[in-house]
Amino acid sequence: MPSIGTRAQVMGVALLALALFPLVANPYLLYVVNLGVIYVVLAVGLNLLLGFGGQFAFANAALFGIGAYATGLLQVRLQWPYLLAVGAGAVFTTGVGLLVALPALRLSGLYLAMATLAFAQFTQWVLLNWETVTFGAGGFKIPPPRFDPLPLTSAQGIYYLSLFVAAVLVILAWNVVRSRVGRALVAIRDSELAAEALAIDLARYKTIAFVLSAFYAGMAGALYSATLNFVAPEGFDLFQMVVQFSMVVVGGLGSIWGSVLGAGLLLAMQEGLRAFKGAQEIAFGLLLMLCIIFLPEGLISFLKRHMRGWSEPLRRPDPRR
Amino acid sequence: MTTAAAPRLAVQGLTLSFGGIRALDGVDLELSPAEIRGVIGPNGAGKTTLLNVICGIHRPADGRITLDGESLVGLRFSQIAARGLGRTFQASQLFRNMTVLENVMTGLHGHLHTGALAAAFNLGRVRAEEAEAAARARELLGFVGMETMADRLGTELSFGQQRLVEVARALVSQPKVLLLDEPAVGLSVVRVAEVDALLRRIRDERGITILLVEHVIRLVMEISDRVTVLNYGRKIAEGRPAEVAENPEVIEAYLGRSLERHPDARRP
Amino acid sequence: MLAYLLVSGLASGCLYALVAMGLVVVYKSTTVVNFAHGELFMVAGFFAYTLHVLLRVPYLPALLLAVLASFALGMLTERLAYRPLMHAPTISLVLAAVGFSFVLKGLARQIWGGRGDYIPFPPLLGTDPIIFGEIVLVPQQLVVVAATIICMVLFAAFFRWTRTGKTMQATAENAKAARLVGIRVDRVYALTWGLGAAAAGVAAVLMAPLTFVYPDIGMSLLVKAFAAAVLGGFGSLPGAILGGLSVGVIEQLAGGYLHTSLMEISAFVIIMAVLIVRPTGFLGARGLRRV
Repeated sequence: MPSIGTRAQVMGVALLALALFPLVANPYLLYVVNLGVIYVVLAVGLNLLLGFGGQFAFANAALFGIGAYATGLLQVRLQWPYLLAVGAGAVFTTGVGLLVALPALRLSGLYLAMATLAFAQFTQWVLLNWETVTFGAGGFKIPPPRFDPLPLTSAQGIYYLSLFVAAVLVILAWNVVRSRVGRALVAIRDSELAAEALAIDLARYKTIAFVLSAFYAGMAGALYSATLNFVAPEGFDLFQMVVQFSMVVVGGLGSIWGSVLGAGLLLAMQEGLRAFKGAQEIAFGLLLMLCIIFLPEGLISFLKRHMRGWSEPLRRPDPRR
Repeated sequence: MTTAAAPRLAVQGLTLSFGGIRALDGVDLELSPAEIRGVIGPNGAGKTTLLNVICGIHRPADGRITLDGESLVGLRFSQIAARGLGRTFQASQLFRNMTVLENVMTGLHGHLHTGALAAAFNLGRVRAEEAEAAARARELLGFVGMETMADRLGTELSFGQQRLVEVARALVSQPKVLLLDEPAVGLSVVRVAEVDALLRRIRDERGITILLVEHVIRLVMEISDRVTVLNYGRKIAEGRPAEVAENPEVIEAYLGRSLERHPDARRP
Repeated sequence: MLAYLLVSGLASGCLYALVAMGLVVVYKSTTVVNFAHGELFMVAGFFAYTLHVLLRVPYLPALLLAVLASFALGMLTERLAYRPLMHAPTISLVLAAVGFSFVLKGLARQIWGGRGDYIPFPPLLGTDPIIFGEIVLVPQQLVVVAATIICMVLFAAFFRWTRTGKTMQATAENAKAARLVGIRVDRVYALTWGLGAAAAGVAAVLMAPLTFVYPDIGMSLLVKAFAAAVLGGFGSLPGAILGGLSVGVIEQLAGGYLHTSLMEISAFVIIMAVLIVRPTGFLGARGLRRV
């Protein structure tokens, strides 16, 4: 397979292309790519928990929603400026994630899955029914954030903010994964017993993975609320959770760059099928099944196998060529 | 050989039952520093349970465990490991998705200090710590003779090679005591001799105390300073290998088969 | 009012018990929780609707056909989402089933209508309520209880006395040994998944006259069935039954004494509470073996 360049080159070019994109794109395309960038943040965060940590939790979509709601409500109800609301929203979501993690991570496997699923449903219920705070099922609008004195429209400003945040968060995740912390997570995933024998505190690191993913989901939610200028419960339901899982699995569990790839791909698909709501579900379901059955290592495994410089620590490609 | 030094690891009156069966019944054990102690006994005698209780996987119903005088009872496995107890397992517990080098570097976890935030920003001191950890890991791989395999995935190694990496991983943090659960299982005669030599070097060059549960009698008898024999959760004999081999209770425990006549039991 | 809520709760609890039984049967045999289980229920309900209401097939044959259809669908699920992934990590199995559940849900939406549509389904014995003192019952609720009891008896008898049932138990206990004595383990798994789905199918057809069947009902029901199974100590069939009844009763009590909006999440609160306080379940003894 012909080489398309090293990973650094490809990512550099992609980043440049994304930075120049607003100059040529119409508003709809800008919005779509903006969403894609936000999805990258979501997918990378979820991968830290699911792919690297091996913890199967269903809480991410709910935390995404909490981030969006916290940011939006701070602006609408308390008139906070946008950037402050973003920071506070992300921190708040991280706090909620910590509170959920403390009891939930004592469970494992399917018990953890179910407990976090219950949390997700509970969050939906709160968003729908606590109308005095959350505005209920209809959701609420958010005034577009302003980026004075920069010469940017609101949409452009949000786009660049998202791009910046995503780039930073991806690099931070990449660093974490290559470090002692990343090794601890993968150790726990591959053999809890051996991890303990090496003085790795299981509870602590599972919590770290969960809290990290909560922070990423919170940031993503904060950015999402401004991209849409609208927040409603239905964007954070179980379908959203399946989309997020799909991004991570299709891209490649345990691969940061795989998540970047998976996010982009899944967004393209989602937009492509937007007109057909029922078919969207079917297509996603089929894609998920096909990927898991035929490509258990994700699409990134192709790149790693056939191109130089794409391997990652803690997840080397299959050496059998 | 008597020693006046305080025991490195001391176990007294250890008792544990699993649903009505006495897995351990008042076991006493004292390990001197830099001793190699073999633990043998028929299947189901409680040998692996003994290891599991010492390292904190199970909590004993009764009894005391001390490491250099500090009590270990009630601590979690990871806490006991942090205090200097290393452990390998019967079944391979190599981290399958890491390279050999990364596996051994994980062994240094308790000695490194980088947390999530520092790691995220990849500060200078983080990079320095990682480089040093990699160097130490390579040194240990050299010690077990696996330095050429540093960048291979665990799944590419043979069974014997995997065990060597696991030993390196357990050693890299310089534990005071190393608990080995059947390190020679499934190995050829040549490999067993290599394990023999390696264990000696661990004791002689690094001063580590070794508690060795094994079925390969030849290895245990040749390498142990002393041997403890368990049967039905109780200690039935303890002493130098030659003494233990002639102990009638031990012979009887192995179903009437004379240990003396066992082809692998040699007098030193 | 208490008596009314209790009886109502028992009636809906019977349905949850049936669905939970289906889930646990599959789990005991294959150590996998079928995340498409709720959708198997949903499809059976729609299928019964098509037969009975649209095609005017009489109730009992429609019920039997719908149950057979869900049996077949369960076997299909096993073939698609389990067999190719038998040795894969749990995550993969669950996600494959989830993917399949979305396919089923999407198909149901295309074929039978959108979110919020409800399917009118006439009951078996007419709609005149039966009144016992302060308790007002719809005859269908009695049908539900009676049918559930029959099903449970049939299940128990099947496992205890038929050869196939014993084969399934043997495979559940030790698949390797079962293979060694010549049991066709693949077929057993297929049958088990079919049986589990059939239990859900029965519940669906019984439930259809009482309340709405809609494409999104699957996940809500899966969570309740899981709550029931967890409450009963996952892996125990009698526990699942008791758990199901408990979930039904607690739901009604929460709705009656606290607030109707709490009914939906009372199951979730139960799960969270049980898992934190006592992961092995209050009623059963065994927890999850495989993690």
